[in-house]
Amino acid sequence: MSSRDGLSYRQKMLQANKEAKATLVALVLCIVVWAIGGFGLAGLDIEVFGTPVWIIGGTIGTWVFSIAAAVFLAKRVFADFDLDEEEEARHE
Amino acid sequence: MNNAIGLAGLIPVLVFLLAALGLALWVRQKSRAASAGGFVKEYFIGDRALGGFVLAMTTIATYGSVSSFVGGPGQAWNVGFGWVYMATVQVVTLFLLYGIMGKKMALVSRKLGSVTVIDVIRERYQSNALAVAAAFILVVFFAATMVAQFVGGAKLFEAVTGYSYVVGLFLFGAAVIIFTAVGGFRGVAVTDALCGIAMLVGIAVLAGGIFSAGGGYENVMNTIQANRPELLEPFAGGAMPLSLYFTQWLLVGVLTFCLPQSVVRCMGYKDTKSLHKAMIWGTVIIGAMMIGVTALGTLSAGVLTDDLAAYGGSVDNIIPIAIAQTLPPWLAGIAVIGPIAASISTVSSLLIASSSAIIKDLWLHRAEEKGVEVQDKSVSRFSQVATLGIGVIVFVLAVTPPDVIWKINMFAFGGLETAFCWVFVGALFWKRANKTGAIASMVGGTLTYCFTMAVGFKLFDLHQIVIGITVAFVLMVVGSYLGKPSDKKALAVFFPEK
Repeated sequence: MSSRDGLSYRQKMLQANKEAKATLVALVLCIVVWAIGGFGLAGLDIEVFGTPVWIIGGTIGTWVFSIAAAVFLAKRVFADFDLDEEEEARHE
Repeated sequence: MNNAIGLAGLIPVLVFLLAALGLALWVRQKSRAASAGGFVKEYFIGDRALGGFVLAMTTIATYGSVSSFVGGPGQAWNVGFGWVYMATVQVVTLFLLYGIMGKKMALVSRKLGSVTVIDVIRERYQSNALAVAAAFILVVFFAATMVAQFVGGAKLFEAVTGYSYVVGLFLFGAAVIIFTAVGGFRGVAVTDALCGIAMLVGIAVLAGGIFSAGGGYENVMNTIQANRPELLEPFAGGAMPLSLYFTQWLLVGVLTFCLPQSVVRCMGYKDTKSLHKAMIWGTVIIGAMMIGVTALGTLSAGVLTDDLAAYGGSVDNIIPIAIAQTLPPWLAGIAVIGPIAASISTVSSLLIASSSAIIKDLWLHRAEEKGVEVQDKSVSRFSQVATLGIGVIVFVLAVTPPDVIWKINMFAFGGLETAFCWVFVGALFWKRANKTGAIASMVGGTLTYCFTMAVGFKLFDLHQIVIGITVAFVLMVVGSYLGKPSDKKALAVFFPEK
């Protein structure tokens, strides 16, 4: 039985695999941004409101990047499909 | 500490607890009227009805604990912005959880009609021994965490309000145990959302207090620069070694996606739109919360400028003192709700999950195997009694508290990650993973982790999670290749061929 969006259960599970892989890529990118934004900028002698720039890059910078990654994943990579339909039929 | 705020601290907390209790009762009432899926599905997984916002908030509030609010910021006062930088790794946790586990757990649990994570594991590996081991490990580590949460919340309550530890413990202990027992998973999720909001408000209020007491953000930073410049270095003059950053990435970053109390939330949401929404908003909120509250710890060093000895010799005192000293009593009363909300929202989720492990995974499963029909009515009664009972046991343990909240929390995090990580990953992503591998991984990994923790054995000076997770991985792979492949029929749900 396929759902109204045309994906079979198998296709949904395969889509979930794709999403998990993309998520791992996003994780790696976040780690890189975190390392560069923090440790990478630690040598610079720049301050904003008395705050060394590595603190901003390593914390706020990583945060903003992770939000961008989440938005990209949710809007571009992840697919909408029906989760429900088959449950009751099988559970009986 | 003689700056306790007394009644002004007690009243906001009481109002908040009553609101949470009322909310849980109301939600339960409403859902009982609408419920179609039977008691177990409603009580333990809320009929899979969570929307995006509540899903994000309940994940965050469960994960964010009193340690994030008291122990962590206290360390950040001591060590500096390196600690904040380290806490930032938690921004990946929400999209990791939803991205890796989110859809598959939702699909699989619906297909199987599962309401607990252990249900799913049992079906995938076709092993009762594994399910029993999982239930045991889960309940033990959850209980340890719950005790730590109660202790942390009650200590903070005592420090800020001046009322005794036991009074605090009794107040919010009773509230959380009752609203969890009555409200079930759905009540827990909705009160978690309320708690999440209270946590954010608490952070904002305390930020206001610290900045006004310290003469503005820039002045606070200048004071820190002048007094303790090492707080502004990533390695904090040696107090923050690279190895610590590395293991924290594992413990509170990457591996959190397999914490069972988080994974169960992937079985409880309504539709894919909710998941996508939760992923974005969850990442926004967890960053604001974890970076925010930890940074407040360091920033309070611009206001609390004495030696640690002047603050009772424990970093756990820093946040309570910052609250009581920088805020007028009525605002301090609002700020103190933040950490208490963090504490009860973690306890409530662990409590309902522990109860589901005992009732659903052990008792009901056994009854089913023996072919005994259990009435919905007695399931309902026993579930609530179990929730209440576990709550009371944890409460009693918390009356004579163990030391150092932060460590207990991390210990349990590591234990649960070691036990569940490869078992979940194998279940959903590796067809070859089988019963032999899963049991070896869960039991062997957890025992190794606990043993190396107990004797203090470390490799390369890294936290024992590294040993635990590696051993668990090796055992999963070796066990899976030595043992028989899983039954084709059981695999069909997890790896459909057509």
